[in-house]
Amino acid sequence: MVIWSDVKKHLLTGVSYMIPLVVASGLCMAIAKVMGGALVGNAEGTVAWYINNIGGIGMGLIVPVITAYMAYSIANRPGLAPGFICGAICVQIKAGFLGGIIAAFLVGYVVLFLKKYLKVPKAMQGLMPVMIIPTLTTLIVGLMLYLFIGLPITWLQNSILDFMKSMQDGSRFILGAMIGGMMGFDLGGPINKTASLFCNALMVENFFAPTAAKIIGGMTPPLGVALAVFIWKEKKFSRDEIEAGKAALPLGLCFITEGVLPFALADPLRVIPATMAGSAVSSGLSMMWNVTSTVPHGGIFVVPLMENSGMFLLALCIGACVTAAVLSFLKPTLKPNEIENIEEKEISDDDLKMNF
Amino acid sequence: MNIIGITACTAGIAHTYIAKEKLVKAAQARGHWAKIETQGTIGVEDELTAEDVAKADVVIIAADIGVRGKERFEGKKIVEVATSIVIKSPNVLLDKLEEKLGK
Repeated sequence: MVIWSDVKKHLLTGVSYMIPLVVASGLCMAIAKVMGGALVGNAEGTVAWYINNIGGIGMGLIVPVITAYMAYSIANRPGLAPGFICGAICVQIKAGFLGGIIAAFLVGYVVLFLKKYLKVPKAMQGLMPVMIIPTLTTLIVGLMLYLFIGLPITWLQNSILDFMKSMQDGSRFILGAMIGGMMGFDLGGPINKTASLFCNALMVENFFAPTAAKIIGGMTPPLGVALAVFIWKEKKFSRDEIEAGKAALPLGLCFITEGVLPFALADPLRVIPATMAGSAVSSGLSMMWNVTSTVPHGGIFVVPLMENSGMFLLALCIGACVTAAVLSFLKPTLKPNEIENIEEKEISDDDLKMNF
Repeated sequence: MNIIGITACTAGIAHTYIAKEKLVKAAQARGHWAKIETQGTIGVEDELTAEDVAKADVVIIAADIGVRGKERFEGKKIVEVATSIVIKSPNVLLDKLEEKLGK
């Protein structure tokens, strides 16, 4: 279990450094599309074309950045340089995201291995972090990528992508519903981030529908819950929750799923099924109606930059209504004396890592 | 008890700051001194100084990702925990620490 939680931490470290990069480059591409139309890529020399290029260059950096910072999380600074280089190799051999993540683990653990077992004369100690470790690691992992593991990863990546791109209406709905269900399950937690990561990975491969499905899946829960609060007020919600409901509306519009947390923490068994259902419906519809987004973040503000944005809004309304309806059905009517405080959960010792 | 710590979450825009607030509020309500450094996407804020570290009885690292500057806490008592736990149960966590540290 400890090992799995470490893996997750490394992945999330990479993702956290990647997010601003994806947002900046995705927004540039979207702005370029608005300025220069869908065929902006051919309009050489125009300002829109340059902006599109800027975004494209940013996109090209995503895999190197995630590889470098995952390796950094595993092996600290000596992991950075080999991580960038090996990530760039993955871009070149088209091993994409999957390759980048595998490369990061290779780089990280090769660095750790060399640090531990490679003994050099004292006079050369100073060269270890700046020369010996980065060079050797880059050589070892770089060659491994080119000669052995690059091909199978590229093949795997391509077959997954081909399969997804060949999906038709019904199966597109199911894929979208799965993304949405995950987005709505832990509301900003690791499963939600896994779904995001998956959609971001597809975005790098120019498959933009899951990105829209991800955004809608993250926006639906707070909006749906806010709607339920607005309808029932004191009848079904405590005073704290009504306040939280007012905050959930703007948070939802900004694609900050965490706005539902006050509700989900207080009453997970009723709230989570409602958010999962709503997100599954909205994401499924969004996939099926082929809403695409080149921007991975930004909520309502990036909706005008999407293709089929009208359908996005429609799917969002439907999803929010589903969440509100399920929640209304599951929530009992409060008795007047139940202005309860949220009770804190017990913490198990497995959740704490202590050195004393 | 003097508590210091770091909070950091994946996106670095929400959980990081909620965790800090919960922790500081709960600690102050119990009469502890607390200072928490946040490592969000915007960068490091409320950075812990050498003095803070020197007078601290315990270090709480509430993070879902790798944090920077752990080497500052060498020789200190460190607890590592996910941000979600600090957000859900700050008081239970402090109960545990008080019990362990006998303060």
